[in-house]
Amino acid sequence: MAPSATPIDSSPPSTSSSVDNNLQPFFVLHKASSGKSERKSTGSAKTRRRIDLSPSLQMNAKKLEAKRVEECDDDCYVNLRVEAFEIVWSKIESTIKNVLRDVNTNVFNEIHRWVCQSFNTIMSSRTIAFHEATQAFPIITDASSKQLFTGLVLTKNMEFVDDLLTFEELGLHLRSQGCRVANLSSLDFTAKSGINGCLRSLLRQFLMASLDAVDISILASWYREQGNYGNPVVVIVEDIERCCGSVMSDFILMLSEWVFKIPVILIMGVATTLDAPRNILCSDVLQHLNPCKFTLGTPTERMDAVIEAVLVKPCSGFSVSHKVALFMRNYFARQDGTLTSFIRALKIACVQHFSMEPLSFILGGISSEENEQVLQDGLLLQMLLKHAFDLPSFVRNTTGEHNGEIFTHGLLEMKKLLKHWGIVVLCLYEAGKYDKIRLLDLLCEALDPELHNFRTSDTHTKIEEEPCPFSSNYRCHQQYPVFRKGGFIGRALRKVRDLPIVQLCKLLQRWEELTVDVIKIHEKLKELRPVLKSENDKSSKEDMTNISKRQASRSQLNMEDTKAVYEKATILMECMVRDYMQPIESIPLHEVFCFKNVEKLQSALIGDPRRRIQVDLLESHIILRCRCCSGGGNTLLPTMHDTSIMYNLAQEHGDLINLHDWYQSFKSTVLFPRSKRKQKSKQSPSKKRKNLTEPENLSEAAIQARFCRAVAELQITGLIRMPTKRRPDFVQRVAFGL
Amino acid sequence: MEINDGDEDEFGFSRNYFLAKDMAASGKKSTHKLSDINLVDEQELRAEASNAEPKHEKEIESLMESYKSLYSKWVFELRCGFGLLMYGFGSKKALIEDFASTALTEYSVVVINGYLQSINIKQVLITLAELLWDQLKSKRRTPSRNLSKAQQAFNTRSMDDLLAFLDGSQVEENDGVVCVVIHNIDGPGLRDSETQQYLAQIASCSHIRIVASIDHVNAPLLWDKKMVHTQFNWCWYHVPTFAPYKVEGMFFPLILAHGGSAQSAKTAAIVLQSLTPNAQSMPIDNLYTVSRERFLVSSQVTLNSHLTEFKDHDLVKTRRHSDGQDCLYIPLASEALEKLFLNYD
Repeated sequence: MAPSATPIDSSPPSTSSSVDNNLQPFFVLHKASSGKSERKSTGSAKTRRRIDLSPSLQMNAKKLEAKRVEECDDDCYVNLRVEAFEIVWSKIESTIKNVLRDVNTNVFNEIHRWVCQSFNTIMSSRTIAFHEATQAFPIITDASSKQLFTGLVLTKNMEFVDDLLTFEELGLHLRSQGCRVANLSSLDFTAKSGINGCLRSLLRQFLMASLDAVDISILASWYREQGNYGNPVVVIVEDIERCCGSVMSDFILMLSEWVFKIPVILIMGVATTLDAPRNILCSDVLQHLNPCKFTLGTPTERMDAVIEAVLVKPCSGFSVSHKVALFMRNYFARQDGTLTSFIRALKIACVQHFSMEPLSFILGGISSEENEQVLQDGLLLQMLLKHAFDLPSFVRNTTGEHNGEIFTHGLLEMKKLLKHWGIVVLCLYEAGKYDKIRLLDLLCEALDPELHNFRTSDTHTKIEEEPCPFSSNYRCHQQYPVFRKGGFIGRALRKVRDLPIVQLCKLLQRWEELTVDVIKIHEKLKELRPVLKSENDKSSKEDMTNISKRQASRSQLNMEDTKAVYEKATILMECMVRDYMQPIESIPLHEVFCFKNVEKLQSALIGDPRRRIQVDLLESHIILRCRCCSGGGNTLLPTMHDTSIMYNLAQEHGDLINLHDWYQSFKSTVLFPRSKRKQKSKQSPSKKRKNLTEPENLSEAAIQARFCRAVAELQITGLIRMPTKRRPDFVQRVAFGL
Repeated sequence: MEINDGDEDEFGFSRNYFLAKDMAASGKKSTHKLSDINLVDEQELRAEASNAEPKHEKEIESLMESYKSLYSKWVFELRCGFGLLMYGFGSKKALIEDFASTALTEYSVVVINGYLQSINIKQVLITLAELLWDQLKSKRRTPSRNLSKAQQAFNTRSMDDLLAFLDGSQVEENDGVVCVVIHNIDGPGLRDSETQQYLAQIASCSHIRIVASIDHVNAPLLWDKKMVHTQFNWCWYHVPTFAPYKVEGMFFPLILAHGGSAQSAKTAAIVLQSLTPNAQSMPIDNLYTVSRERFLVSSQVTLNSHLTEFKDHDLVKTRRHSDGQDCLYIPLASEALEKLFLNYD
């Protein structure tokens, strides 16, 4: 490479003007200012900018608001919030990782056992063929001995993106068991780089160095080294469907030739069906594979496990509102159904929360009991209270004194309530599992603040106050909306009644485990235990013996007992839902922990350039907020942005736009107001004329130049396709409708 | 209910499409020709185009101003490890560069002009690595082994090595972050899938943050799910500016110019300007010997690399002569060439 070809060398960034920079493929805008002094100067630059700008602008209310927010940002310890985000997100991330690892543990162990077995098989056949294996080049005549043990891991998921982490974890798992592991992806199996591409990546991962020469023999000598010899070598290919078939075939042939020198065991991720290798590889390569099948959990299973750990059980303290949860569920169901996208949505929600909520920094210390410490800091406390008493949910629920104690109390209370909420949701989920209810659906319903709104207007006494919630008059579900709606909570509750007695026992046992920390509920469940135990025993006995007449009459009696148990269990669950499942949005101070802004989340998560850019063009005057163009209603005014006029005009054409016609209509729009050409107009012409500026004295050249520029801009946005040789007088429209 | 909305959208789209098709078919297709317009001379057109009076300058300015309140949020998100993707109609070049030079002073910032025709990603990577190296060197308290290993010249190292260096974890977070501004990440110079893969890999490096803009409505199609969800990690921002696409549109042909083809003296001059001095001043019709005599190139390899550059930009084309030898020629009119050299000298 000629060193002179570096653009950066020829134009030192400090001296180059912006015009030059515009034509450089790339340039250094500035180098990092060093140290804290610079950080300070940034701050001062910021304030200066604000001062410079303010008089030049008409400050409307919105801008004032923005300014207030900005100032607030400066005050509110942005750094603290960034730190808090990092703490919270790393907590969530590691929780997710652990959950997914747990989900996969069984499969991973299974795979490891198979790897060991396969390795032993290779090694034993290797000792038989020892004299062959010690030759300089492996000469193997027997086809069966060139078999490559291949694990086909069915991912049950068309989207490979969710499994990237799985295979990474699998690699780590096998490595921790002493295997030598390399992870390859479809990027390593491209036709362009051929067999060298994957071999290079293999060497890079095993030898931890990039070499100029790539050869499999290097790997063989690496394997002979101390520390490597005697360990299985595992090569994981994440997504075989996306790999180049011929390169893959070559790779497998090569590995199978060398399998005695390097005992490679192949693991391949398969997104479709077991046919995939047959579709990709040729038959003589398939002969060399000795396959074994493994299956991973479905995305839905993983999803529920993640939700349980992150959003239902106490994890990071960060939470989302009912509306956000609904949005995220729809995003998961409609966008691409990948866990990865769901986690990304959660992360964006998280960052939006921390960037907007001044008090969110509390989350950084919430679980490590540091918030007490935070309250010791006088300055922080002041700021905290200032903001806390602005929170609508706090204002509603506190009267009188504004001090730190109320705040701390509020925090503790919230922690307790959220814990209870999570426990009840999990209890419901346990019941719902028998009806294949997904936790995500349950979560969305359980977050609905309407639940609580109803509750507060409800005059029924709470479980705490009434010693016996089993009395029949305690049943309130007729009035309580959750039970009435055909919702998931209602379904889960009904399922409790429909369960066979054995399963009910299991369920109640699970509930007991889950509610260990909520003594009141736990006690009630314990009360049910003896009744159930006898019931359970009886029912199992009944299964074995024929029911005699006498027994039948006894079971008649039991029937009533059993009925009572079901009744009690259902009532208990209902009471738990009613009294303990308080959605976060109805708890004071929830704004600090709960992200509620669906619009912000949506716009940051899903850019919609195709629609938005068209809307920009069709309604430019709304975005520009200019006086000159907004008076016209639907008519095109000459003052409008040229490209906007052009795109509006384009809507009147078919899929092809005749350039001549387009130009003529553009010209007449620019020269004369639309109303003069089209007599049909809703407004009176006199009123309209006032708004319009006089037609400018435009030269033909100027109009043509503007036309050209607008066409070029539409081409940049990709909304039109340029004329072809076959159709020199037409451009093609690309987008139809928003 | 919402799912029905989706269906509705799709239905709306197909209906619109067929309506448009219909309109073209039933309504008598216009037979007007471009030549029916009294087209002005190309030079005049270009002059007018560059002089055209901008509309709504004040509104555009206040629109830009309104985005300044978002700067602190953008910085926050960058610090939290996200990439920023700006879209919406209008050139976002000035906006992003203003953001970078006022709010990102703590970081080194490299700008990539994706609207240009060819961009050497490896050179970008080398520059990024050098910047990061400088930054780490000045901030580091105790020398670590990893760093001393990195000391070897970056321009001899492979892409993988460079990426690994940028993705290193030697230093706590924000101390060693380089921001990369990519104007038109969907531009012609970056549009191919290999480059996009590299950009995604760069974006996922721990020491790199990306602020990019797109203008094409179909730009998201450049990325697969791995790139979107795990590498670029975009926060989208709809920031229409309505500012003219001055530089971005430079390489687009004027549709009313004669022939309409992209080749023109001006674009040629722009390409020449953006080349290195050695490449710029090389008379194209001369052969290797002449170039060598004039100390312009020292080897056939260098000459070829320059020629490839010219070929890529259609400044030079090859034609096989009857005797089998490759001949180089310039596909420009001689007046255009004269003018070019007059202007260029």
